[in-house]
Amino acid sequence: MSEQTSYDAIVVGSGITGGWAAKELTEKGLKTLVLEAGRPIVPEQDYVEHVPTWEVKFRGLGDRKKQLADQPIQSTCYACDEWSSKFFVSDKENPYTTAQGKPFRWIRGRQVGGRSITWGRQSYRWSDLDFEANLRDGIGVDWPIRYADIAPWYDYVEQFAGITGEALGLQQLPDSKFLPPMELNCTEKLVRERVSKHFGGERVLTIGRAAILTKDLNERAACHYCGPCERGCITRSYFSSINATLPAAEKTGRLTLRPFSVAHSVIFDSKTRRAKGVRVIDANSRATLEFHARVVFLCASTLESTRLLLNSSTPEFSSGLANSSGELGHNVMDHIKAGGADGVIPGNEDRVEFGRRPNGVYMPRFRNVKSKHPDFLRGYGFQGGGYREGWERGISQTGFGADFKKFLRGPGPWRFSFYGFGECLPSHDNYVELDTEKVDAWGIPALKIHSAWSKNELALRHDMAITASEMLAAVGATDIRPFALDEPPGFSIHEMGTARMGRDPKTSVLNSYNQAHDVKNLFVTDGGAMASSSCVNPSLTYMALTARACDYAVQQMKKGDI
Amino acid sequence: MRRREVLQILATGTALQLAPSKLLMFLREARALIDTSSLRTLDAHQDATVKAMAEMIIPRTDTPGATDVGASAFIDLMLSEWYDDDDRTRFLKGLADVDSQTRALFGKDFVDCAAAQQRDMLRTLGEKMIEESAEQSRVEHEFPSDMSFYPMLRRLTLTAYYTSEAGATDELHFEMIPGRFAGCQSASPIKEVPEQK
Repeated sequence: MSEQTSYDAIVVGSGITGGWAAKELTEKGLKTLVLEAGRPIVPEQDYVEHVPTWEVKFRGLGDRKKQLADQPIQSTCYACDEWSSKFFVSDKENPYTTAQGKPFRWIRGRQVGGRSITWGRQSYRWSDLDFEANLRDGIGVDWPIRYADIAPWYDYVEQFAGITGEALGLQQLPDSKFLPPMELNCTEKLVRERVSKHFGGERVLTIGRAAILTKDLNERAACHYCGPCERGCITRSYFSSINATLPAAEKTGRLTLRPFSVAHSVIFDSKTRRAKGVRVIDANSRATLEFHARVVFLCASTLESTRLLLNSSTPEFSSGLANSSGELGHNVMDHIKAGGADGVIPGNEDRVEFGRRPNGVYMPRFRNVKSKHPDFLRGYGFQGGGYREGWERGISQTGFGADFKKFLRGPGPWRFSFYGFGECLPSHDNYVELDTEKVDAWGIPALKIHSAWSKNELALRHDMAITASEMLAAVGATDIRPFALDEPPGFSIHEMGTARMGRDPKTSVLNSYNQAHDVKNLFVTDGGAMASSSCVNPSLTYMALTARACDYAVQQMKKGDI
Repeated sequence: MRRREVLQILATGTALQLAPSKLLMFLREARALIDTSSLRTLDAHQDATVKAMAEMIIPRTDTPGATDVGASAFIDLMLSEWYDDDDRTRFLKGLADVDSQTRALFGKDFVDCAAAQQRDMLRTLGEKMIEESAEQSRVEHEFPSDMSFYPMLRRLTLTAYYTSEAGATDELHFEMIPGRFAGCQSASPIKEVPEQK
């Protein structure tokens, strides 16, 4: 039997946004083909969250030499460990290059589910403080949408995904439709109380808002607090494509999921000026195949979707498909992090946590909210949390023998850390292009990334270390250690902005519905669409934008406009 | 117990006649002994020295110790497959230096020293570790101070122990599936740990 090559819709990528596009489009009646470059995932075999340390060869320290050879970039990511490294790409097969003196860390996952398997699950709404920021500051282009446009779609995706958190009623960080919050630990409660008192309510500590179930929802079970979500979750308690959206799409009977399908380029029909489909290299047979559809959704991740468009140039679009603006590939952003502080919080020595909460605390942005900071635009939020030191503290101590063993049987002091994530400004000078020499394992040109922090971002990181230390001092911490590490862009794994939305086709790639200005049946709904970066984790916004774009696309198809 | 005896007991099924608690202990010992045969980096003397030091750091008490969990086999694995050549060379040199020092001080290799002499040696190594670590912040070294022999041995020993099944579950009461989260509950008092011989 020959393979079906014609569908109503094609979705490229099966990660956070591809999963949502698959769910929405199939539920709205479209026969949908999802193209995934990597392998299929079978939770019962591939998930390893309950494999204990004593059953892995290097006891959690990782197969260092193999990682250095195969995953020198991926293995620098905190989540890429001895268990979960299989959910990250081979750097050998998936090369990229960077401009001289401008390192960039590109952390990637190629398998069904993409990076939704290993993501950090932190989920925050944007506000008009974010959507109006570019207009207010005269930077980049104005967002073509405001909070009111996306709010109902946040409601919609949150009720399906399941977001745990605490409602605060803050303007700069709107509340989600929350499942019950996870509990703060003793030290976090203490820090919350003292910070609130000391800073007059301007700085608020709350439990992290995360896409993890705290009660059963849609045939998914509440979290059982085993800890390492990035290794999978057999109870489907955290949100991922595999745990939630792809099963929903599958249920419609209209989903065709095709793994090992490396998207090569979008096929453009110059007569109709529409996308005709997607050209694919079968990762196993190496054959070049073509699949056709009425509408194409690119959900391959910010840089991959952009790379695909850059590799789809035509006589009409010589610098990349849908790039009449010249902005495709430009304005790449990430969040600047690695600024903060850590300290010992005396008290509660007789108290401990039970269970491993896969979530930290959050302090919403407080800079440039009510008053203007002289040194920088925008702001940052703090993640972090309270924890007790474990047996590892014994390594650098000199003790030995039965007493020492007894000492390590109990936990060490309570520590608390603040860890900032700051907004990155869009700049035309930060961009990606196709490398003219390097290709990946399938012969597709690699990306060359040109990206560096600006003064504004560096000022944010500096301020993170100062305010974090100041708060730790205010709550009575000892042994305060500020840090502001020189990490390159990319490492927050929040890359976005290379196919930005905007009101004007001359300065942006997508319109207010993630639809390419130049090609009406082509949508990009991953992080590429972002016109600015906010300081909050972006995935929830990608989900909402994807669901909204699918709704719009299907309406347009019904009207015959697509 | 000798390796040959262990193999014999395993082969004849005599082990199954042991009481459950003894059987568990026996199997642990058996594993540690059998692992010795497959050492790839450490020779028998080096292995004996590493075993003795690791057991001194984490001795068997009311719970298993470093030897019970096969710490030296893990250390051999790490030296063979995980560390770079330079680190392995430095570790083995540090290990040899321990014998040079005990021979100079007590006229014997570390493993042949009396318990009190061995403890003196470990204390000396600990003092040197603290000095080097303090020095690290002032003077530039060719390698980080925690990659000296003794901090490496401590890291490897503690990792081998606390990530082993006995270390994680018997010692630290690790539960794979807690089923709930409580942020602030009272800590169970730490039990006394008598040293057993």
